[in-house]
Amino acid sequence: MRRHSSLPVTFLVPTLAILLVLSMVPTLYAIVIALQNRELSAQGYSWVWFSNFADLFSDRRFLNAVWVSVKWEIVTVVATMVVAIGLGVLMFEVAGPRLRNFYCLLFIIPVLLPRVSAAFVWKFAYHPLYGIATYPYRLITGGLIFDPLSKPGTALFAVASVDVWQWGLFFAVIVLKLLETLPPQPIEAARLDHARRWQIHAYVTLPMLKAPLISLMFVKMIESLRSFDLIYVMTRGGPGVATETLDMYAFSQGFIESGKVSYASAMAVLMMIATVITFTMLWKRVQA
Amino acid sequence: MKQYRMRPGRLIAKAILALAGFLAVFPLVWTALNALKNNVDIITRVPKVIFTPTLANISYILGRDSVLTGLYNSAVTCGAAVLIGIVLGLPAAYAVARYPNRFAGDIQFFVLSLRFLPPVAVAIPLMVIWLQVGLYDTLPALIVTYSLLTISVIMWLAIPAFQGVPKEIEEAAFVDGYGAYSVFWRIALPVAARSLIGAIAFSFVLVWNEFLIALMLSSSNAKTLPIVASELSQQGMNVPWGILNASVVLLSLPPLLFLGVLSGFLNSVFRQKKS
Repeated sequence: MRRHSSLPVTFLVPTLAILLVLSMVPTLYAIVIALQNRELSAQGYSWVWFSNFADLFSDRRFLNAVWVSVKWEIVTVVATMVVAIGLGVLMFEVAGPRLRNFYCLLFIIPVLLPRVSAAFVWKFAYHPLYGIATYPYRLITGGLIFDPLSKPGTALFAVASVDVWQWGLFFAVIVLKLLETLPPQPIEAARLDHARRWQIHAYVTLPMLKAPLISLMFVKMIESLRSFDLIYVMTRGGPGVATETLDMYAFSQGFIESGKVSYASAMAVLMMIATVITFTMLWKRVQA
Repeated sequence: MKQYRMRPGRLIAKAILALAGFLAVFPLVWTALNALKNNVDIITRVPKVIFTPTLANISYILGRDSVLTGLYNSAVTCGAAVLIGIVLGLPAAYAVARYPNRFAGDIQFFVLSLRFLPPVAVAIPLMVIWLQVGLYDTLPALIVTYSLLTISVIMWLAIPAFQGVPKEIEEAAFVDGYGAYSVFWRIALPVAARSLIGAIAFSFVLVWNEFLIALMLSSSNAKTLPIVASELSQQGMNVPWGILNASVVLLSLPPLLFLGVLSGFLNSVFRQKKS
């Protein structure tokens, strides 16, 4: 009965066709635009082939944006995983079932917030004069001003902290749930061998969870690519170009500063190629 | 002896957890409090906990045409995109879950890989396309663009949900003479409903929170709420802190309504894994 049904065709084909059209049209068109010299203000355009790409590699602001994006990926992914594993293990160790549920609910809240909201919440909190997060510093130093968002050295970390606030806490919940799915016998055995609590986790539970933890990291790497909202609201890529990631730079080239749509699209195409290749390779390795 | 040595460690661990719990919600609570303050009470060097509350910020926000239009636009685009996601995503997910074929793995990877696409790379060409067809800055353009997101996310999350439905129930229905389609409608959908609602809620939150694509595809008429909220901060030198805080609260409320549904969804996902 199941085998001769027309269901898979009628259910799958329309959806996949629509997904293909919706994804391939913009992707291919992005490449077409990148090979032209369109501008927002001008009507006409001509084909310039690869000159946009050639220009990019001599554009120091672009190279800076690449570097900032790489830094952003590393900082947010590592910090998120550290926070998630740390808090997940702590909940597993010291919290009873009721307390766990309570913390899980609290820890999911930040990730549900629109990133624009999260960015505003922390933009106020980091305000040098009136912010709640900078208040302890003002209190201790007797009114000295600390402005994390306008210092080139700290701005990226200040924005990244919001990302970790959203994702690190959320992933802590997932790490806890993963720990709860483990069979209790290996942990008991390690305990009988007088292993310390941290040793049990470092040598028994976390290695057992290696595969799901790597998948989790993979998800975070993809989500970290979406840094635009936070950066747009909190710093606009500033101070200077200290927090200008690739999507921020592409946006400001295409829309704010010069309206060079083709140039911005060339940048987006390079990002797309880099991410698709990297993540396809990583995904195949994760699956293998 | 051992128990004695453990104690300070446990205390510290509990303190760290309590601190993390505090950090998770306090910034949000503080924002909500600020939304109820007059500007004088916000711009203080020492944060004020006790103040005379005012509803002026909230009523200002709810009285602005731009905010109401944003709210309407957000509701319509999210609603329509999620609906399209349900209609196209759920059946496709069921087909992948229950009628395995050679391409099942490839289809799943294709759906996931849509998430790799940098939003800028989608938004720039779409802006040019919508401009050319004359649909730039309209809700249909946003809805179609978001459908890509909702269909793929709902499909991705619904595949394991359908796989979690015990095969025996479906087999029994076949034996009872149900056709393939009615098994989907009357058995698989209701049995998997709880997980499916979680997946749908998740896709709603994603679209509601989306910013970059909405920013690039709207200029005046089709602005969604996140765009309107972000623009409130750019009104000259005198930042209306209270109003901004109120708009952040308004923007954050709908996703938070799904807190219960989504944490239940998370639980059911892991319960499945365990068994």
